[in-house]
Order: sequence, then C-alpha cells, then structure tokens
Amino acid sequence: MPLPSWALALADNAGRSGGTDAVLATVTSLPELDERALVIEAQAGNRAAFEELVRRFDRDVLRLALNLMKRPEDARDVYQEAFLKVYRNLHRFRFECSFYTWLYRIVTNVCLDHLRRRQARPEDQAPEVRLNRQEDASQDFFEVQREHRPTLDPERRLMGKEIRTRLAKAMERLSPRERIVFEMKHYQGLKLRAIGDALGTTEETVKNSLFRATRKLRQELGELR
Amino acid sequence: MSAGGKMDCRVAAPLLVFLACDEVSAQERAALEEHLAACTECRELAQQEGQFHAELNALPQSADELDRSGTLLSQCRSELAETLDEMSIPAEPERWQPFGFVRRWMALRPGWSAAGLLAAGAVLGVQLLQWMPTNDSGLKGAAVNVSAAPKVSDEQLAKMAVAGINFAPGAGAAPGTLQVQLRAEQPVTLSGNLDDSDVRRVLTYMVKNGERFDAGLRLDCLEALKARVSDVEIREALLEAARQDPNPAVRMKALEALRDAVKEEDVRDALLESVQTDWNPGVRVEAVNLLVRSLELESASPAEAPAAGDAAEAAGPRSPAMPAIAPSAPVILTDADPSVLRVVRALEELQKHDPNRYVRLRSAAALRQIGTPEVR
Repeated sequence: MPLPSWALALADNAGRSGGTDAVLATVTSLPELDERALVIEAQAGNRAAFEELVRRFDRDVLRLALNLMKRPEDARDVYQEAFLKVYRNLHRFRFECSFYTWLYRIVTNVCLDHLRRRQARPEDQAPEVRLNRQEDASQDFFEVQREHRPTLDPERRLMGKEIRTRLAKAMERLSPRERIVFEMKHYQGLKLRAIGDALGTTEETVKNSLFRATRKLRQELGELR
Repeated sequence: MSAGGKMDCRVAAPLLVFLACDEVSAQERAALEEHLAACTECRELAQQEGQFHAELNALPQSADELDRSGTLLSQCRSELAETLDEMSIPAEPERWQPFGFVRRWMALRPGWSAAGLLAAGAVLGVQLLQWMPTNDSGLKGAAVNVSAAPKVSDEQLAKMAVAGINFAPGAGAAPGTLQVQLRAEQPVTLSGNLDDSDVRRVLTYMVKNGERFDAGLRLDCLEALKARVSDVEIREALLEAARQDPNPAVRMKALEALRDAVKEEDVRDALLESVQTDWNPGVRVEAVNLLVRSLELESASPAEAPAAGDAAEAAGPRSPAMPAIAPSAPVILTDADPSVLRVVRALEELQKHDPNRYVRLRSAAALRQIGTPEVR
C-alpha cells in the first residue's frame, strides 16, 4: 500500500522539508510553497495559505476519520472540528514538531473524543455502515461488475467479505486508542513512532496498544482461519 | 516449544506481531530469524501472523467504500470554507453612542422611560416659556383680513339645503358668530362671522334665492346680515330681498335691515319702489317709515344722525299694523333737493291713492313730519 505523502514527512520529525523563505510567498504561488512557509503565511493571517494547507492534508484526514468512525456524518464532523481547531490554534504552533504531527495530534484527539462519546452512549449513535455488499440488495451495477474481476477467486472473495464483516464487529470491541493505533498502523501505514507522536505518547505505549488490538482481532477472526 | 536459539519462544511470540508489520529493530529481527529457523511452532505462528497482516491490508478500507467518488471530501471542504468565511467576518465595531447607558436603561424600562420623558418635557416647557419673548407688541398693528379661497363652490350653493342657522351675537362691538348647517352631498357646518367669505356667500345666496329656502331661515339670514349693511355685496342682497322675496315678512325684514343705509341712493330707490309697488300694506308702511328716517338723516348733521336713529329705536319695535313715528321735530326740507322731492311726491301719491287707509294715514303723518309746504 503506498504511503501518503504526509506520512513520509511525519517520519521526518524535523518539520523542515524545504528552505523556502516565507517572504517568497509573495512572489511564489502557494502550491509551490513547502508546508513550513505555508504555515508561516497562514499564521500571518493568509487565508489562502491556510486553505492550501488544508488541501494538502485533508484527504488523509478524512480517510482516517472515515476508517475510524465508519460513518460519513461522523467523519465530516471530525473533519470540520479538527480543521477549525487547527485554524484557531495555528498561532500557537511553534514548529517543535512537524505540522503533520501537530495536525494529526489534533485529528486523533477529535477522533478519540468522538469514539469515547460513542462508547459512552451507544444508544444515541446510528449504526455503522456495513461494507458487506452481499447484504445490499440495491448495489450498483458497476460495483457488481468490479467484484467479478477474473483475478479474484470467488471463494476467496466470499471469505474476504466474511472477514470484513467480522473485522468491523471486532473493531467495535477495541478501545478507542487501540482502534486508532490499529487503523493508523494498518490503514494509514504510519510508523509506531509517528503514531506515538500524533497521540502524544511513547512508542512503547503504542506498541502495547497495537499488540492488544491485534490479539483481540485474531481471537475474533480466528474461527474463520 | 523448542528453544533452539538465544531467543526464547515467550519472548519471540509477542514480537511476531511487530515482525509482520515491520516494526522490529534490526537486532530483534536478527534474533527472531535465528529463533524461527530453529522453532517450527513459532515459524508457523509467524506465518499465520504474516498472512493475517496481509489479509488485513488487502481488505478494502472503509474510506474507499464510503467516499469512492470524493463527494464527501468536496462537501467537507465547502463546509469548512463557509465556516471560515463566517469566522472571518469582522464584528461590526460598536459606534460611539452618546448616553448609551441611558438608552440601554430606557430600553429595559419603557414605563419609567415614558414617565421620565413626560416629566422632563413638562419642566422644560415651563422653564422655556418664561424666557420666550411675548408677541403682544407685534399684534398691535392693524389687523389684516386674509380671505381664503372659497370652500363652498357655486355648484354646491345651487344644490345645497340649509338645515339651520345659529346666531350668537358678539359681545359689545365684536361680530357675532354664525353656524350654518348645510345639507349638501356631504353635510357641512360653516362656522364664523360675516368676515368669513363662505358664511357671507351662503347667507347672501339664501337671501337672494328666497323661493328655495324656508322663510324663517331667510329671516335669520337678514338678522345676521343687517350688521354689515354697509357692505355693498350684502346691501345688494338685502335690496333684492326687499324687492323680490315672496314673503312680505321677509321683505319687511329686509327693509328693516337696510335701516342704517337709508341715506344711500340705491336704498332710497328701493324704498320708493316698495312704497309704489309692494302689494303688502305692512311693507309699504315700513318703507314710508324708512323714507321719513332717510329724510330726517338728510336734514340732520352727521353728528346728530346716530342720535336720531337711537331716538327712533327708542320708540319701540314697529309693526306693520302699528307703525311708530318718532315725535321728532318737523324736518325742514328745501325744494331744491330732487331726491327729497321724489320722496314727497311718492308720499303724496300714497296719501291720496293708496287702497289701504292706514297707509294713507301713515303717509299723511309722514308728510307732516317732514314739513312739506303742502302739509303745512
């Protein structure tokens, strides 16, 4: 799975991916600026610079939110809340870590809040969207066609769907932190150290969370194997 | 569990999870590889762990399924932009408002505010009146009557009916106040004195058009108009009523109203006309009385004229049946005055030929009173 561009940057915790001076923002188009220059511009009140920052990272933010929340409405809420927090607190960012790390710290905190809220009051929550296409009678024609690619073994495909359903149920039994760690590791492809930075904890703690999450999931999915 | 290497199975097993996702250090990896090469059980576990990890990674992600077309991302961007727009709208700076705290206080207490404003207005008004210059000096000049455009049109006059006339005589020399209630298309009440052009127009119209209005109303009109007999317009109306009104009481009242203008030539002509042509003896007697009065005023000095009038007035109200003759001294007339001669001739004619005996007697008395040579 290809890593997102910002994930690579997270690994470089220096937060300086280029030497472009912020002054260049006045003569250089915003998409050409590196994230540090963009952040400086945004901190100076340049709305366009902030929007450029959003455009660079929001696809991955929404992806993480969707994977964690499993509901588009919740993911949208996480997106809005997270970027508004970034906008309001950008002046406090002092480049002590990379902007990506700082952004993901905010995003994961918002996700944790939502997940904890959901766990505390499950009766208030709408059911998560199940991705089992077999149960969906009104599936799209092209979706069906896509499932019939010759490279996919029908038996294996059926097994995959079963695993996916069981995995979704098993994920609900994880703690919010275990869920985030698992998602960030397996679906976002982040290194444990970067996850620790995003969550504001140590790599060792993240390691423990990932281990517990994997054990739980294997127990839930063991029967299928 | 076999223990063929340095690493124990209890240490190696937990690391297999991180080995599958490439999260072990180089030292750990080397120790694990050495252990897995010797331990079949751990090797199988590592294989299962790797397969599980691979299967998880092969599963489609929720994000791929939930936002395949990218619509959700567009929505999120749009919503965020709108929210940022709202946040970036600068708050309207509060304008400087003098006495802002007073306004806020008043807005919260409307009752007290109204009472306070009334009290403040009263105090201010009383205080200001003391300092304002009075305009009494400006009113000492001659009064100027400004006539407004007539409110009652000719068409309204032609169609109107009069419900009543109320007359309140003024105190002393002040003109009386009239109230004329008209029944036109829309009921109108005219209020004012004879200086009011509308009031004057309506009254003179009623007097001139006697056949359209009640005789009692016409008498009221004459009573009101006689105070302004010096006015040409009013005198013409009175003369017309004295000549043409169908009611003899109204004609007599019209002659009486002309009493103070008997010296005028047109009035004397009208009196002579009444003496000669009016069919009512009472009207003719009234005309004779007024002719005598005119001659008395003619011979008297201007200063004495009012006294003579007052003397005649003091004789009491006259009636057609019993006209009163003021017991004044005989009027010495000169023959050279042609107007006097016309009167004398008319009285002589009346004395000789009037069908009414009382009129003849009254004419003879009048001739004696004016001291004509024939009578003497």
